[in-house]
Amino acid sequence: MLIYRVLWTSSCTNLYFAIQRCLLMPDDLRLDVFDSAALSEPGLNESRGTFLRRAFAGGGAILAGGAVIAGLPRSADSAPSPAQDAEILNLALLLEYMESAFFTEASFSGKLTGELLEFAQIVRGHERAHVEFLRSALGTKARKEPKFDFGDATKDPKAFTSAAVRLQDLIVAAYNGQATNLTTGALESAAKIVSVEARHAGWIRAIAQENPAPDATDTPKTAAQVTAAVNRTNFVSSD
Amino acid sequence: MHAALGRSSETAEGLAAPSLPASPEPALDVPTPVPLEAGGATTWAPVRRAVFARTRPSRKTNVVVRLDTRTPEDTANIVVVLGRARDAAGRVWLHVRLPVLPNDRTGWVPRDALGGYGVVHTRLVVDLEQLTATLLRGRRPVFQARIGVGKPAWPTPKGQFYIRNRLTTYASSFYGPLAFGTSARSPTLTDWPDGGFIGIHGTSQPELLPGRVSHGCIRMRNEDILELGRRMPIGTPVTIR
Amino acid sequence: MQGDLTLQELDRDGAIHEAFDGVNSRASFLRNAVIGSGALLGVLAAPRESDAASPSDNAILNFALTLEYLQAAFYTETERAHAIGAELARVPRQLGSVERAHVFALRKVLGRAAVKRPSFDFKGVTEDQVKFLKTAVAFEDLGAAAYKGQATRVDSPALLAAAVAIHSVEARHAAWMRYLAGFTPAGRAFDEPKKELEVRRIVASTHFIAARPRTTRRRKPRFTG
Repeated sequence: MLIYRVLWTSSCTNLYFAIQRCLLMPDDLRLDVFDSAALSEPGLNESRGTFLRRAFAGGGAILAGGAVIAGLPRSADSAPSPAQDAEILNLALLLEYMESAFFTEASFSGKLTGELLEFAQIVRGHERAHVEFLRSALGTKARKEPKFDFGDATKDPKAFTSAAVRLQDLIVAAYNGQATNLTTGALESAAKIVSVEARHAGWIRAIAQENPAPDATDTPKTAAQVTAAVNRTNFVSSD
Repeated sequence: MHAALGRSSETAEGLAAPSLPASPEPALDVPTPVPLEAGGATTWAPVRRAVFARTRPSRKTNVVVRLDTRTPEDTANIVVVLGRARDAAGRVWLHVRLPVLPNDRTGWVPRDALGGYGVVHTRLVVDLEQLTATLLRGRRPVFQARIGVGKPAWPTPKGQFYIRNRLTTYASSFYGPLAFGTSARSPTLTDWPDGGFIGIHGTSQPELLPGRVSHGCIRMRNEDILELGRRMPIGTPVTIR
Repeated sequence: MQGDLTLQELDRDGAIHEAFDGVNSRASFLRNAVIGSGALLGVLAAPRESDAASPSDNAILNFALTLEYLQAAFYTETERAHAIGAELARVPRQLGSVERAHVFALRKVLGRAAVKRPSFDFKGVTEDQVKFLKTAVAFEDLGAAAYKGQATRVDSPALLAAAVAIHSVEARHAAWMRYLAGFTPAGRAFDEPKKELEVRRIVASTHFIAARPRTTRRRKPRFTG
């Protein structure tokens, strides 16, 4: 682990930021939040944030202290719940499977060099870690990995770059689009992942000499939009 | 590229979407990215430590004046920043407008002698012929008043200056309800206490305005100085012509 | 359409300070808070509650606003200084315009409950290309970590939707700045959140938030008259 420490001096004070250049393995994750038993029992692990968002979703007014005084929540399958988390995480898992396979294949194709190759190699490791995390969180509910056919997107540097930009932007929009649907525990983990996906997006765009962050906000995509975008890639050859 | 194999979870077009709610409208209405206003900005900074302002960006050149951290009015001393340069050792120096006699002088100070920058977009133009003071924001006049200026014996100096401080809540109708201090100094009243700085302030004798009536200060009616006070921040450059 | 800042107030001493430099020609004047670095660790003067958000969400909005003020001021000053080399010049321009947009949006939703823009002293960092870039890396990494630290505390779904949409932009910025500075843009598979207290401590340690210089006094002038 390499740490670069930057020292600023002024005549009055010393300032420094520690900036880490890390090639760390992923942090150990607390998987107890996603205990598979909890996923099948709605109501367990529901935190204040989840409770309030369910109440907001139902249009109930909140008293100080958090009691809902009027209005019913929307039907159980639209407010945050462990069951809904599983659907969302499976959608995320589909995307992570796709990215993991894409970057793995591309990095071993022998056709990438220089910073594109370095990018593919590092991102490959991250996406594999995301797949493992989601599979572990979902337990028996985890979807199976589809078969992929990436065509020349893993064999030609230009096609790779353009596909990588597209996939990274898509996965950011997908996670962002589900944030308000997740329970608090799942949101906490999703945030740690989408942060890295957004870094990937900025990184590949910088390599491609495109604007890493063209907008002041990243527009979310709904599950339907994400699925349609996946289908349009034609990368999924069987499910 | 290839046909999707049929499975119960798929449509002919590909995978089926799970049924999940859309996000709500975001609570923040973020506009498209906001560029800076082009031009018309003036930068100023407080003097953080007493320092010699020099003729060029180097310790080896002549001193123009010593800059203190406080003004005679006991406010933080400030200078307007006109430019920057690096010396041979790579240190940043700032070209600043100085509150010294003779008027309208500039000098160079090391960056670390000054504090954080402030930026203003207003300019005050004082016309000694027309006897007007006009505040502009960018190119747009936003305020104008008729003024009294120095008598011939005690002229208001011409040149480029800036608003250095602001005094309020004092018991003196002579200066009106509000007074701005500038970096300009009377060229004739060199023995005046506290340096003979030119101020912009109200008056107990509005009937004298417009006219050449003062010891160098720029006077305006009290309602005008209050209006100016709502619009003119510290650091505003002042052109007297 | 750009949010217009419609608040116009004099501060305690009657001085006027611009909300931001030159965002548009109708920008209004706002108070600057006097915030010393020590005060950051304690409670900032409690703002009034906005109508729109729960007290807790209000506090989160104001925390976000403080960080966005800091970033916006940093990039704005860098752009104005013109001290950053030609090929990097678009960085403060672009990042500044995005952070200013964030400030607008936060101020608009907070209304009178918005914390005032602090005074800053960037101590030459905005005038040195290497220092600028390293500080930009730190700011963007910190901003992303701060948003992650607040995401699970947000009550309102609409605010959460807004926060995640900004958070990923900060992470893009962080990767870009690291790329330009020669650091790895994404060093790990999972990015950790930072809690508010730690973020404030880090900000305070920079001493970039400075007391506003006192240029106003209640005393009688001794100008020439």
